[in-house]
Amino acid sequence: MTPLVMFQLVALGLLGLGLFGILWRKSLVGMLICVELMLNGAGLSIVSAAMLTPAGDSFGQLITLLVMGLAAAEATLVLAIILVVTKRFGHDESQEISELGG
Amino acid sequence: MEQYYPLIAKILFALYCLVILGGGLVAVLARGLVRAMVGLVLTMFGVAGMYLLMAAPFIALMQLLIYVGAVTILIFFAIMLTSAPAGNEERKPRLIRQGFLAFAAGIGPAVMLALICMKSPQVTTGLPKVVPISVLGGQLVTNLVLAFELISVVLLIAMAGAVLLGWERRKKAK
Repeated sequence: MTPLVMFQLVALGLLGLGLFGILWRKSLVGMLICVELMLNGAGLSIVSAAMLTPAGDSFGQLITLLVMGLAAAEATLVLAIILVVTKRFGHDESQEISELGG
Repeated sequence: MEQYYPLIAKILFALYCLVILGGGLVAVLARGLVRAMVGLVLTMFGVAGMYLLMAAPFIALMQLLIYVGAVTILIFFAIMLTSAPAGNEERKPRLIRQGFLAFAAGIGPAVMLALICMKSPQVTTGLPKVVPISVLGGQLVTNLVLAFELISVVLLIAMAGAVLLGWERRKKAK
């Protein structure tokens, strides 16, 4: 097994853990944590695919940097949304939040 | 010393693997959300170690700075601002069927992609080389300038949107 495949398998492990967790967790904050797990796996996969193949090294690293920026933006917005939901419903349990509209 | 480098790399890879998977399991399964966040931090440190192993020290430092430094603080704020009064949603019992379905949904795509990844032939170079930071910076203002500018706009909009959402919440409270 080449190093590339081993790095990719670790990244896939993170993807599986995140997918399991996002369905297992009951609160929105727990689901946010699982999304961050999956994004970490994506970054690992991109960097390994760039560094260990003939593809451009710097390109993959910079794309991972952009993924990190997107993750930060996403976490900011999710924090604000969780705050609004908690204010409106009194909790952040994903099963109970089923009403739409104001 | 030089001849031991592959062995050391393998040992470090195994160590980082353990750190990543252990931290991930804590992040997914821990009862308390703060413990889950600490597990996530552990995973991020492991991923940063993997970046160092792949000769990408700049990305490893950015991982520590952005994820461990910023995103973790955001998640901690989310925990602090939401789960204090009602809290403990995670402690409620879950249906076994739900857990089984979640496990299947998580393991299915990962195993399928892993099989594809192991079966398809891949071209790999030998040892990765360190890219100087000046080259990375040069790429950022030449080839990737559009993505660079767009990410700054996205960050600005996300920040403004977060402020807007928080503002509306406060106005209604009065």
